[in-house]
Amino acid sequence: MKPLDPRLLHRARAARLYVLLTAGLGILTAALVIAQALLLAAVLAPVVTGTARWDDVAPTVALLAAVVAVRALVSGAQERFAHRSATRATAELREQVVAHAVALGPRWLAREEGVGVATLATRGLDALEPYFVRYLPQLLLAVTVTPGALAVVLGLDWVAAATIAATIPLVPLFMVLIGRLTQGYAERRMTVMARLGHQVLDLLAGLPTLQTLGRERGPAARVRELGDAHRVATMGTLRVAFLSGMVLELLTTLSVALVAVGVGFRLVGGTLDLQTGLAVLVLAPEVYLPLRQVGAHFHASADGVAAAEQAFTLLETPAPGHGTRPAPDLRRTTVVLRDVCVAAPDRDVLAPAHLDLELAPGTTVALAGANGAGKSTAVSVLLGLLPPTDGTVTLVPAGTSEAAEAAEADRPDAPGEPGGPDGGALALADVDPATLWAQVAWVPQRPVLEPGTLRDAVAHGRTVGDEALGRAAQATGLDAVLAGLPQGWDTRIGQGGVGLSLGQRQRVALSRALVADAQLVVLDEPTAHLDADGEAVVLRTLAALAAQGRTVLLVAHRPALLACADTVVTVVAEPRGLDAAPDAPTVSEGVRP
Amino acid sequence: MSPRPARDVLRRDDPLRRAVALLEVDRRRVLLAVLAGTAGLGSAVGLAAVSAWLIARASQMPPVMYLTIAAVSVRALGISRGVLRYVERLVSHDVALRGMATLRVRLYERLAAGDAGALVALRRGDLLARVGADVDSVGDVVVRGLLPVGVAATLGVGSVVLVGAFLPEAGLALALCLLLAGVVAPWWSVRATREAETRSAQARADMAATTLTLLDGAGELAVAGRTGQMLGHLRRADRDLADASDRAARPAAVSAALLPLAIGLAVLAALVLGIPATTAGRLAPVELAVVVLTPLAAFEAVSMLPAAGVQLLRSRQAARRITELLDAAGGEPSPAGGPVPRGGRGQAAGAPGTPEVDERPAADGARDAGPARPGAAAGTLVARGLACGWPGRAPVLRDLDLTVGPGRSVAIVGPSGVGKTTLLLTLAGVLPPVAGEVRAGGDPVHALTRSAAARRVALTTEDAHVFDTTLLENLRVGRGDVTPEEAAATLDAVGLRAWLDALPDGLETVLGADATRVSGGERRRVLLARALLGPAPVLLLDEPTEHVDAGAARVMTGLLDGSLTGGRGVVVVTHRVTGLEAADEVILLDRTGSVRARGRHRDLLGVDPDGVEDSDVRAAYRSAWTAQEQES
Repeated sequence: MKPLDPRLLHRARAARLYVLLTAGLGILTAALVIAQALLLAAVLAPVVTGTARWDDVAPTVALLAAVVAVRALVSGAQERFAHRSATRATAELREQVVAHAVALGPRWLAREEGVGVATLATRGLDALEPYFVRYLPQLLLAVTVTPGALAVVLGLDWVAAATIAATIPLVPLFMVLIGRLTQGYAERRMTVMARLGHQVLDLLAGLPTLQTLGRERGPAARVRELGDAHRVATMGTLRVAFLSGMVLELLTTLSVALVAVGVGFRLVGGTLDLQTGLAVLVLAPEVYLPLRQVGAHFHASADGVAAAEQAFTLLETPAPGHGTRPAPDLRRTTVVLRDVCVAAPDRDVLAPAHLDLELAPGTTVALAGANGAGKSTAVSVLLGLLPPTDGTVTLVPAGTSEAAEAAEADRPDAPGEPGGPDGGALALADVDPATLWAQVAWVPQRPVLEPGTLRDAVAHGRTVGDEALGRAAQATGLDAVLAGLPQGWDTRIGQGGVGLSLGQRQRVALSRALVADAQLVVLDEPTAHLDADGEAVVLRTLAALAAQGRTVLLVAHRPALLACADTVVTVVAEPRGLDAAPDAPTVSEGVRP
Repeated sequence: MSPRPARDVLRRDDPLRRAVALLEVDRRRVLLAVLAGTAGLGSAVGLAAVSAWLIARASQMPPVMYLTIAAVSVRALGISRGVLRYVERLVSHDVALRGMATLRVRLYERLAAGDAGALVALRRGDLLARVGADVDSVGDVVVRGLLPVGVAATLGVGSVVLVGAFLPEAGLALALCLLLAGVVAPWWSVRATREAETRSAQARADMAATTLTLLDGAGELAVAGRTGQMLGHLRRADRDLADASDRAARPAAVSAALLPLAIGLAVLAALVLGIPATTAGRLAPVELAVVVLTPLAAFEAVSMLPAAGVQLLRSRQAARRITELLDAAGGEPSPAGGPVPRGGRGQAAGAPGTPEVDERPAADGARDAGPARPGAAAGTLVARGLACGWPGRAPVLRDLDLTVGPGRSVAIVGPSGVGKTTLLLTLAGVLPPVAGEVRAGGDPVHALTRSAAARRVALTTEDAHVFDTTLLENLRVGRGDVTPEEAAATLDAVGLRAWLDALPDGLETVLGADATRVSGGERRRVLLARALLGPAPVLLLDEPTEHVDAGAARVMTGLLDGSLTGGRGVVVVTHRVTGLEAADEVILLDRTGSVRARGRHRDLLGVDPDGVEDSDVRAAYRSAWTAQEQES
């Protein structure tokens, strides 16, 4: 780990000012520490040698008092502002991480590195606070006060300076040596400790189960044993871990002691005067103090630095690019999936495999199939959220022939082919997804409700009149939910508000799809969390959508729902490797002149 | 909430005091740690004082032999500091770890001895999930809270006495400055922490919720064009968070400024008081150096007190959660932490590595009735006029009569949330009945001890725990002497033969933390096997075939027709009506928690013309049944 990662300052621009402030206060502190030591020696020495009285030193004491006051103010200012660099850096990194993770897409988020993003973005990055508030200021003091005080000591008494300079490199040297020696040992112990600690918690968590089975008494002894084993393992680690602290303290105090003794004997020898001696004595511990503090805060800040590194790795993962052409009007465009296959991320299957589908304006198409066949994945492909492993998705405006569509899909930039909204078919990959999504309302299996009022959740950023809201609520059965809420549409839901059941959330999402002015409505298992009345609700909603002339893509398996569809397409999965030539261009072959 | 945790700790009923009492710390070890810590930091003070004397005396150019002792002590003090601090840290951590181990045992014992119903309620909250961190936090108070206070107090007194011996008024000034840094500064620190916590809690929760919404609903938000809006929401939440920590930084800044101010004031006071005293001849010039320079080192111990104050605050919050847990479970903790009435150390007899339990019937008197009373129908469970619900809340189910005995099976069907699980907890004696009674083997089941009740009725809840140990040990939780052969045969019977064969170490495979390596359906079947291997003549099963996709109906039939259970009495609770043909009785609950209909499956379906007369009931049951038949 680098002491100060330049990427941190590069990514977190707003934090720079406060890091600079911290550095400035560090230099000021160095000057004040040195001034305090020199002034103290200047006051004390003449009085001890009997050459001065109170009146002679009073102005110097006043100066010393001023230094003390300024030093207190600087310490306060450091604490007052140090956290600002932390909060700003954390907020900036968090926003970048979340925005980039969202851009990487749902499939990436479901992968192993994606699952940790939520923890990284919340608790992980919060661990940067000790780094900015404790570690970084001390690090800056270590590079200002330590060399500054050492330089002054050198100017005063080169022998003392040499003693200190000789011991300083020993500090990091011994830290590294002991760290190397203990690392493997500590890691093995840590594993044992984590395991033991977990077993105790496991017994506590399982206590209700043990009680229902009447077997709760015995494990107390086991908890005791595990606790003792945990202690023995931990103490073994600590005995070694504290060694580095001991060596550090031993080195620093012993060298201060050696400086004091050396100064003493040179005073006796007359080669040094008292004022210099006192100044060196006061300055010597100040040289070591920041180094000791850096060591103390190093571990506390390590978590935050590790989180930052993780964040940088994530931010450097390239996001998939997307098309730029505007999507054609879906009221006059058929979405065509040809031979679409998607390799499942965790299993050795294609789900869906070789899916063909045509979604013409104003029709209702249902996707049926077993669990895991890839119905929801097919929806993601159709919406442009997930590129298919194989096959094509094209947007074919009315009047365009299948042949033109396929040719366009095969060679999007072919000369002479009028691509785009003025007639020709367009590959979905070339389309700016935002322009497509503007025409889509999607109700996924577990709809997300942002914190806000129920009205916000249904209107979803649009201005919708109460009448339209009421009609939608009536169709979806949300009116029954509303009747139970005293504040009606203005009830706050989500964080800090009323919790809604999955069935209720589904009704909210269905209402949202109804009021949304979107041509294509995608409903993924709309009855999954609804009871028998719920099914009637969905049937009513489908009828309402069809009456409005909308295009509906429905994922369903209940027969009543499938009966509503104009076309039912069965999605199947198949093991990979069955297909000898997975990218056999069957479609484009058919149109070759 | 008072801003003075230190003061509150003095109250006897303070949660931290109660929790620390449960640590049962060894006072001699604490004393040793305080002594080592004081001597360690005292070495630093001594080093400053002696080297100040040495240098001041040396400037008078005495014969070198007068300085030898001082020079040797300076070097010795330079070494002793590091060594003594090492000893202090080891001893204090040992004390804390011993205390944490004891606290965990006490907590376990109290919870085990406490009211089972309360514990089931707690399991639904996150109290138990947090308990590990809370125990650590209470243990930390020894090392990071109490010990620094002890060391700072002893050392502070020592330094004041040392300086005061040379010049009493300088000693007094030092004492005042130490109080400024050791009491006033920590007070501001604690205030800052409290401020940060109260103000930022909402902002932090907002930030976390927004982050999760953005990540979980990434696709949906993108399609709906709301990603940018939500990112704006995140930015606002972060700004609120920044504002909260900015406000908390003000008292923190005061605290940070006070330490250098106190040190500076102590030095200035020593100069202002000492110089005239030297001129007046009351203080030797060499002693003036000691009086002025000692304070520079005397503040190291108090400089740790702001952090110690914050630790006291944090530990106190953890202690409050722990004592709430104990109070809710009903085991009244005695401040001395003595043995608890039930489940105490003396009865512990577990084999290492397993949640193993003693099989001996505990001699608890009448509550532990042992085998069923002669004369009463052994192995029967009878409920009469039963109403059940969580204590202190309105009952969810009313007027239920139910009889289960050898060879008789009952299926209870109803919509989710109607209180089926509550009913099972009441039938098992975990919750007391709100009205009516439940008798197992002739005795009211709630009045029996847990182990006696469990020998008559065994409950497997939906969220029953799979322990982080081997598969075989998990099956032995129900009965300690299950043989590997029995275990394999039962796993086969519940349809896990292929799964068992695929496990790397067979029955010795470790199942991982709360069975994360096991799918939902496999977990259900393991729990079912555990229940089947148990000794009780009546089994209560909560949704035993949920998530069991393939063969769910076959398992349900086997449970209900007695072929899986060996003819034991069975109560199954489910929200699906698939596979209930074999039940001796199906009880259909409606949304209000009343019995809507009861009878055999075919009666309810209306196959038998003499069955249930209410045609609405028949229609509802039939529609539920046909819908699920088609799905599966």
